[in-house]
Amino acid sequence: MNRLFNDRLFTTVLALLAIGVVVLVAMPGAISPYMVNATGQLAAFALLAVSLDLIWGYAGVLSLGHGLYFALGGYVVAMHLLKHAMAVTGKVPDFMQFMGWSEFPFYWSGFEHFGYAAVMAVVLTILLAGACGYVSFRSRVGGVYFSIITQAFVYVAMLLMFRNDTGFGGNNGMTGFSVVFGFDMADPAVTRGLAAVSLLVLVVALVGCRSLVTSRFGRLVIACRDDEARLRSLGYGTLPIKLGVWCLSAVLAAIAGFLYVPQVGIINPRLLSPDVSLEIAVWVAIGGRGALSGAVIGAILVNGVKFWLSSRAPELWPFILSGLVVLVVLVFPNGLLDLGRWRPRLIATPSVVKRT
Amino acid sequence: MQYLAKSLVQALVLLCALGGAQQAQAYDHAAITDAACGDAASSAEAARLIVTGAGDATADDLAWARSMVTATLERTLACSTGRPPVLSLRNRAAYDTAAAMLTLLAAPEPDARTAALRTLSRKPEQTPAAVLDRATAAERDPKLKAALAEFAQLADLGSPDLARRGRAISHLADAPSTRVATQLATLRADPAYVADAGFRTTVEAAITRVDRWMLVGQVLSMLYNGLSFASILFMSAVGLAVIFGLMGVINLAQGEFIMMGAYGTFLVQQGLRAVAPGLVEWYLPIAIIPVFLVTAGIGVLLEVGLIRHLYKRPLMSLLATWAVSLFLVNLVRVVFGTQNLQFDTPFYVRGGIAVVGDFIITWNRLFAIGFAGLSLAGTWLLLRRTPFGLNVRAVTQNRDMAACVGIATRRVDMLAFGLGSGLAGLAGLALSPLYNVNPQMGTNFVIDSFMVVVLGGVAALEGTVLAALGIGQLNVLVEPFYGAVAAKVIVLLLTIAFLQWRPEGLFALQGRRR
Repeated sequence: MNRLFNDRLFTTVLALLAIGVVVLVAMPGAISPYMVNATGQLAAFALLAVSLDLIWGYAGVLSLGHGLYFALGGYVVAMHLLKHAMAVTGKVPDFMQFMGWSEFPFYWSGFEHFGYAAVMAVVLTILLAGACGYVSFRSRVGGVYFSIITQAFVYVAMLLMFRNDTGFGGNNGMTGFSVVFGFDMADPAVTRGLAAVSLLVLVVALVGCRSLVTSRFGRLVIACRDDEARLRSLGYGTLPIKLGVWCLSAVLAAIAGFLYVPQVGIINPRLLSPDVSLEIAVWVAIGGRGALSGAVIGAILVNGVKFWLSSRAPELWPFILSGLVVLVVLVFPNGLLDLGRWRPRLIATPSVVKRT
Repeated sequence: MQYLAKSLVQALVLLCALGGAQQAQAYDHAAITDAACGDAASSAEAARLIVTGAGDATADDLAWARSMVTATLERTLACSTGRPPVLSLRNRAAYDTAAAMLTLLAAPEPDARTAALRTLSRKPEQTPAAVLDRATAAERDPKLKAALAEFAQLADLGSPDLARRGRAISHLADAPSTRVATQLATLRADPAYVADAGFRTTVEAAITRVDRWMLVGQVLSMLYNGLSFASILFMSAVGLAVIFGLMGVINLAQGEFIMMGAYGTFLVQQGLRAVAPGLVEWYLPIAIIPVFLVTAGIGVLLEVGLIRHLYKRPLMSLLATWAVSLFLVNLVRVVFGTQNLQFDTPFYVRGGIAVVGDFIITWNRLFAIGFAGLSLAGTWLLLRRTPFGLNVRAVTQNRDMAACVGIATRRVDMLAFGLGSGLAGLAGLALSPLYNVNPQMGTNFVIDSFMVVVLGGVAALEGTVLAALGIGQLNVLVEPFYGAVAAKVIVLLLTIAFLQWRPEGLFALQGRRR
């Protein structure tokens, strides 16, 4: 246990998140429904950031296509919700009316069962990420090449999903999720429940990831990041290590999407645009990669500002975001975590900056 | 072939005979007027006489016939009976045709002749060959002459004389196009097609010939489109490849440098319009130097301000250049708006020449191809034949060793980054007559350009050229069959499959694998 919680920042973040869960469950009227919903979405984003931090911060492999797995989870849950809503209310989904279809395509069968949908989200993610990771890591494609290829993957997926004939809603995406587990989505209690579940999943994932990165396997992963060639020459096969972390990271991203879409109420291919995937990396970079708490802080902070600006001055956001990135890249190489260590250069001796 | 020659001779003999027969005919003014004044049948006969005689009539006769037909149509013909004849509906059409023919032969104004030809085109087979020959021989207006030749073919195609039709068919097949193909296909429904075996063979042979050339044209135009796409890809990828090979940095803002190049071209055009309106047509060549300098300058600034600090952290440089691209896109959006820019199309990028079938060498694509060729030559000379290029290659191969022998590697980096950005800017210039120019345009090219770099490797310019050609052609070849999305999917999958075989691309640096 000591190993798990010996990082003060990590323990603080975890405790705050746990308090959030308790507040959501025990004090129904304490937070406005809008804030509850925003909290839930932020928790999903934080989980997504943690998943990217796992592969980038710890394994040193930057994916610029994590939106692919996020959207995969989202699409699967959207399919479940639509079928469920149709079973309960009898309402035919918009995209089928739009395409003039009277019944679902064959690959939609079974998605009315939540268990099946959840299993499919995980299985499909592992298959997709496994195939993509295997071919890349096997031929030792790494670094910038790998990032570019993942970005190409997410771009191609976006183009595919923009087509109306694929049976996933085309460019309008899927929306109109009215019922979840038989409960009305509009009910504030349901919103609160979803937010609480998202926070809870985030807490569990954080503890799980922390125990992973502090374990023996975690040491190997970090060694892989720092000097893969040396690790190989010591007799370790790096392919299963990288592939394992990669698949785990993809599954976490899919779970994040699975939690995110019911709360935001819509999914469309824009989630697959390369910019969205790059933004995930920006959250992690701003928060501080190589530390799980940094990813959570980055995701919540950046998205908090974005939510806040979206109603006031949305056109300012791209400029602020790019300014933040340049600032982080030039001044704080390890993100906001550097703030704790940062001293003005003129006064202090040069601090040791880890360059990886 | 033999059959065709024979039918040609037959047709010639027949034509001579017809000509001879008509030579004897001249307009018998009184008889024709009388016939026109008579009942419906004799009125029709009068029209027929005028039409058949028009080919050989003297100029005076033509003028007379024209006034007489006009008078009949306007019901002012002076008849011996005292009142002008009333034309039946059918005869009115016959007289209209005759009037058009006479106008075509005798009217001095080209506009009137064009209108007459349009009237005749409704039923081409009604016009006798002699009239057409005479009109063609007398015609001086080149546009009208071409229209007449086309009309003559159409008339022959519908003529009752099978030999003439055969000749017209092979004439048509000489200039294959989609329109010709459909014209020939309709002949299969013709009664003569069933009745006459010789005619059937002629038609079928012509259709086969047209189809073959149409296919050639399709293949050529596909290759041509692929080549022009590959040119743009090459121009945006070559800068990327130089930068990546040199410093291991992928510039995610490369697409935005293309966009800025296009916007720079637009600014040059607007500037010329304000300062020197006479030179507006030449804005494309005039813009080359300023666009290159400006985009290269911005590239150098970017390198000095940002990229320089990130050589040891290539993954961070991805984020940093993405932030730059985000900034540039939104800056341009704020300054210029999101709509497509309106470019002039100067005469040298307008239109094209038809080569075979539907294949047209369009000047705008040729401009892009030629431009890419020149850039290739320039880049090649720069990298292979100048001290700067030698330094770039040395630093690419071994940075530390190059620094040891006294090469200012930082300066080389800076200049090479400027070169790469400038080339991207020129790509923007080259594609401005081809594609929509808006703040978002860069994103459409940037992923394809990455694939080119990944596929081609960074050690030699040849890799980039080959990869750009391959990816450009593949995109264009797959697109008509499976759609643009499938083309992108296939290109991506093939690239990944290729990387299994050669992880560092076609032309990798020799040395220890990192």
